[in-house]
Amino acid sequence: MADLEKAEIVGTPALKGTYVSEMDMWPFECEEFNRIYPFYDNLRAGKFTTTKCKACGYVAFPPGVICPKCWSEDLEWVELPQRAKVVCFTETQAGAPIGFPSPLIMAWLTFGEGTPLKHLLGRIVNCKEGELKEGDEVKFVVFDVPSHPIDVKRETEVRDRVYYAFEPVK
Amino acid sequence: MAEKKRAVIVGGGTSKFGVRKATIHDMIQEAARACADDIPALKPADIDGLIIATTMAGRHSSALNTAPLVVHRLGLSPTSLCIRLDTLCAGSNSAVIVAKGMIESGIADVILVTGAEKVYAPQRWETNYTQLMVNDHDWDSAMGLGVPPPFFAMIARMHMKRYGTTKEQMAHVSVTNYTYGTDSPMAHFGGRSLTMQEALEARIIAEPFGLYDCCPLSDGASAIIIASEERAKELSDRPAVYLRGTGQHATHSMSAGWPGDTLAEWPHLKTAGEVAFKNAKLTPKDIDVAQTHDCFTISEIIELEELGFCKKGEGGAFVASGAIKQEGSIPTNTDGGLLVYGHPFGASGARQALEICKQLQGRALHQVKDAAFGLTHNLSGTCAQHTVVVYGREPVD
Repeated sequence: MADLEKAEIVGTPALKGTYVSEMDMWPFECEEFNRIYPFYDNLRAGKFTTTKCKACGYVAFPPGVICPKCWSEDLEWVELPQRAKVVCFTETQAGAPIGFPSPLIMAWLTFGEGTPLKHLLGRIVNCKEGELKEGDEVKFVVFDVPSHPIDVKRETEVRDRVYYAFEPVK
Repeated sequence: MAEKKRAVIVGGGTSKFGVRKATIHDMIQEAARACADDIPALKPADIDGLIIATTMAGRHSSALNTAPLVVHRLGLSPTSLCIRLDTLCAGSNSAVIVAKGMIESGIADVILVTGAEKVYAPQRWETNYTQLMVNDHDWDSAMGLGVPPPFFAMIARMHMKRYGTTKEQMAHVSVTNYTYGTDSPMAHFGGRSLTMQEALEARIIAEPFGLYDCCPLSDGASAIIIASEERAKELSDRPAVYLRGTGQHATHSMSAGWPGDTLAEWPHLKTAGEVAFKNAKLTPKDIDVAQTHDCFTISEIIELEELGFCKKGEGGAFVASGAIKQEGSIPTNTDGGLLVYGHPFGASGARQALEICKQLQGRALHQVKDAAFGLTHNLSGTCAQHTVVVYGREPVD
């Protein structure tokens, strides 16, 4: 207890240089922690995918390990459209979470008739404040996000991560 | 056959809402004290069931298994029910639904429903950051959706585009709610007033929202007593206020599952309202006073539409006409609502229930004349879930 009483550290001694999953902005993407890890592997290959039910044909988003319509486990990975239209959008001016750059542009996207994904909230990147307009076409883009450590037996390994957003079609 | 048990709300109280120099336990104790002041005959030993509604306990307070903590701090010894419940902003309104079922089934007789949040951490950034964990974390939050204003700003833009709603119409909501909330001593912004000009000229939070279009995040706690009709008579001489009907509906957790044609249509609220009205054997026309989830000015406008108090798309003109004022056709958020009384998520539903209780007992600060039927509504999450409770001075049957 003597060390703790000295209180040399402001805050929590245990957190010095430590990854805390409770504070994680991004999903667990690795096979050890997530059964839909193929979604993230597909992102790395430039593909926007989800799970389709082989029993009833329903295409779910987000992907899962059962079909949310009929609860079948018999699923396959299918590709989703990579282009969407901006219905409306917001350029956050206050309260953006730490870790996201400002301006943080979020848009309500539609993917058009006949696609399984009706609409989606998507972050718009590679776009300056004031540039985006309603009706603009945007396309899917993948980028690296912070990795996290994982205990593998007695070693600590690092798992890289990616995520996706949309950017204006120019 | 035994006579049907009926559930009533007896009374309650809230702590001061705001940025508080207090822990979640302090505020729950304050709310319980205020509840006892409102129901002088109530003793801790009368309470056989406890529901504590909270989202942030365990996040900004180290209080994950919250119910026993409340039991200890309030000197309770519940025998029928002792649980924590979390439906985010609808926590204690959901607890009212559970309490109604427990009372009507005869399992419990006197239930304390309390909701509480400590949202402000020692460093402010953490409060906004935590909001990443209350949306669908791996999907919408990873797009950067934390605090709600950006999402509801898109809802407002869509409603303006489709139905011609204006910023001025939205300001009628905040200005009206300030006329109600200004003299609520426990309100986050009690003592403050708001003019139309101040509302329209306020700094922008997320276009089209100015500061007063958005409710605050608040620390705070509320406490109400839901009891059987028989036990309620022993606890209080005031008129009985019956829990007539409830409805709760969810369809999705993240944007891809949004049920409306656009963000301006909330069919999941329409369904929740229809279920509650059917169970209450009433229609929107019967309701004299409502507490709806005015997390943003646009929210109250859309809620009045989807709950059937005005036609779809006409909510903007409806609030501007004065319909939500004390003498209007549906006085709404008569204690100031989330915009003025404040919004400690899990505590808001019980705060609304208390205001409807006072209105139907004829003792509200802004009393609606002869109020006989009232309604409370919360939305929660990224407008993912809707919770509606209908109250009356007469039982449903």
